[in-house]
Amino acid sequence: MNQAEIRKLIPAVRVAINAKHRKFSNPKGPEGRLTMLRKTVTELVKLERVELNYQRGDEARGYAERLIAMAIKHGDRHIPTMEMANYWLTEKQLVHKLFKVLAVRYKDHTESYTKLHKAPNIYPGFYRERVVLELKGNPFPPLEKKNSSHNWIHNILLEEAHQDYIRKKLKEGERSN
Amino acid sequence: MANLSGRRQSPLYHVIYIEREREREREREREHRIILQEVQMKGPYHKKALTNTAVKQKRSQLFTQEAQRQAALITDIEKIEVQYDGQPENCTLIMNKGMSTPYNCAQHINQMMMERSVLAEVDGQVWDMHRPLEDNCTLRFLHFRQSDPYYANKAFWRSASVMLGAVLESSFKDNLYVELCSYPSPNVRSGSFVYDVDLKIPEWEPSKEELRTLSGEMVKLSLAAHRFERLEVDASVALKMFADNRFKTQQIPQMAAQSTSGNTVVVYRIGDFVEVSRGPMMAGTSHLGKVSIVAVHPIETNEAQLFRVQGVALPRGFLLNHFAYGVLEKRAQQMNSGRLPLNISSTEPQTQASTL
Amino acid sequence: MVMAVVAAAALRSSSTRLSRLLPGVCGEAWGHQARRGAVLRVLPFIPTQDPDVIKKMPEDFRAVYPEFLPGPKPEYRNRLREKLERQDMLARRSVMPIPEFYVGSIMAVTVADPNASGKNNRFVGICIQRGDAGLRAWFILRNVVDHQGVEIKYEMYSPLLQSIEVLRLEKRLDDELLYLRDALPIYSTFPLDMEPEVMQEGAPVPVNPIKVQLKPRPWHERWERKNLQGVMDLGLPERFYKKAKLHEKPWEKYDLMKEYRATIPEEEQADIFREISPHYPLMESTRRRGKRKRVLPSIS
Repeated sequence: MNQAEIRKLIPAVRVAINAKHRKFSNPKGPEGRLTMLRKTVTELVKLERVELNYQRGDEARGYAERLIAMAIKHGDRHIPTMEMANYWLTEKQLVHKLFKVLAVRYKDHTESYTKLHKAPNIYPGFYRERVVLELKGNPFPPLEKKNSSHNWIHNILLEEAHQDYIRKKLKEGERSN
Repeated sequence: MANLSGRRQSPLYHVIYIEREREREREREREHRIILQEVQMKGPYHKKALTNTAVKQKRSQLFTQEAQRQAALITDIEKIEVQYDGQPENCTLIMNKGMSTPYNCAQHINQMMMERSVLAEVDGQVWDMHRPLEDNCTLRFLHFRQSDPYYANKAFWRSASVMLGAVLESSFKDNLYVELCSYPSPNVRSGSFVYDVDLKIPEWEPSKEELRTLSGEMVKLSLAAHRFERLEVDASVALKMFADNRFKTQQIPQMAAQSTSGNTVVVYRIGDFVEVSRGPMMAGTSHLGKVSIVAVHPIETNEAQLFRVQGVALPRGFLLNHFAYGVLEKRAQQMNSGRLPLNISSTEPQTQASTL
Repeated sequence: MVMAVVAAAALRSSSTRLSRLLPGVCGEAWGHQARRGAVLRVLPFIPTQDPDVIKKMPEDFRAVYPEFLPGPKPEYRNRLREKLERQDMLARRSVMPIPEFYVGSIMAVTVADPNASGKNNRFVGICIQRGDAGLRAWFILRNVVDHQGVEIKYEMYSPLLQSIEVLRLEKRLDDELLYLRDALPIYSTFPLDMEPEVMQEGAPVPVNPIKVQLKPRPWHERWERKNLQGVMDLGLPERFYKKAKLHEKPWEKYDLMKEYRATIPEEEQADIFREISPHYPLMESTRRRGKRKRVLPSIS
């Protein structure tokens, strides 16, 4: 039976997620999995930038996004949201940070609240894919340099062709008038 | 193809013909050669026809001689310190004065720097990759994918013009003595690179196949991966090199007068094609990627019937879908508005490019 | 058959192309997974540019018309198919009105039946479960006829259905009433000639707080593990409750992504509502008229 759950109305997560959850084999089963992810989410909220394996980072990212979205939507007067924050953030001062700092920071955001960067592998090692997961708008220097391709030769040529086209259209318009 | 089988003969070497047509062509050429040989054997007083091949060889030989002469002037090797600033890390290189080039420095750094660098920046001055370093300096490399690759783009456009000149000089049959005239200052925004050339034909409307052949020649030149060899020579040597070109002989004294030393010009060589230009040029012809020669416009001047050959190109590694590239090609077909060599006797030197 | 296959392939390929054109449709290639074992990624949903689209969606839309929301499993999703299905559903509703009903409502359904005396068959019962989405949506009616429990599963958009009436509109304490199978027959016995009941206009749908008495074990399922609200004390020995305790999954309510993967996001629901909103007034008026009908017999 493939039927949508209608009891709750949840805003869309703004990042790509896996269609199925990752199991992360754990001696304590699914509960242990959540405990493990909880650590990552707490670290992320606390430090705002963490380096970890891709699989774990990508999985924890969804939870962090949902938690922040809940905090923004319902605020700190909503009991289920408060319970959720209490569960996911193991350090209690971070609950305060979530509602008073992060919810305020991302209030008018239209994009995702977190960002996932590729990180170099550790040598020598097992060559698991490494990533850096960070909250947007953190106080650290940016990880990736912005390199604009606006002045690259093909873009210059295409832009000039576009300008030419506009000029031609305008001229045609004038002539028809 | 059908319209090609008519009377019309292509002035180019490599045009695709219907098999029969090609066969006929060969026969005619064979006859022609025999006649020529007879003429040559007949008497020593017969004036030998001036061909581009011979002229090119002569210029290349002079270039080699001059390069050897200049190399011999350096008798003892002096060391200079080059402060490299950039990826993967800043470092100091000990190089040879007047011998080592920025390209040699890149060879010491890594392969990626060696292959992608188009120009060097030496003490803030744009420098050719194959121009020897003259003193202690700081060094940076420029490439096409920087956030503002102004100088690299300009050098690319200029080098494309020069490569077009090389192709024009070598692609025509020997009975046409092609004289290269000049090209306007490289302007990427104009949408096409240009070479003005005297083909010694009163009129020529190239067919699609002919244009494609020229483009193919450009690609071959790019695949040959020649370096842009740079040499600063005395005006007299340059005049000797370009004695067979009436346009260049007029331009060289003016260029020499404008140079810093007052009597030298810069010549570049790719393969065996030699061109006088102020530069700078990109590191090698292999930087040229997708290229097409799209149009030939006749230009009337008071001395000769010139043709403005136009093309558009992208550096190697820049992928553009065929539709977008088609838009660029279509735009490049318009007559380039760059400066025309109108009055040849008073033409400015061929490159208006600032020395940056 | 070959034609159908070709058409299906064309549909699938066109759905990816269409997704670029339709506003608010996700950009990825939905439909069947390209490779076995490949990880399917769900790209973020791109909502329409209208900022008030969520506010325009009525509160009760997803509760009254749950079958208009697609199934949330990404591997079975296909935006084009869902869109076409919704059109078909609206077309069917314009021919045969489908009233508002919930699990726990008592309903009467008439279906075409070639073997029945009047070529149709009417069945009255309590809705114990409803499921699936789109054209495949169904519900199960249960009744006890001649001391024999009878359950019939009806597909809501089946062309065989001639009418659906709601005799008593109410909800129960649970989402599924499958435990009625193990309850005393009295709780699922309804007269086949039951009259539609009175309901005040504009009143909220009442929740029936009735607690049913289950028969002694054996049962179809271990009801003590289901956290049922609508049953009386089960009267089981202590060991059953201990075992049930072991099977509890109290962490599941904190699994934010599990919850998310089971739902259709708010923005997408709003987009679906936006798509069917031209038909919505008509759907609402039929719903209101259905309620009024229920009022009329009591007046006369």
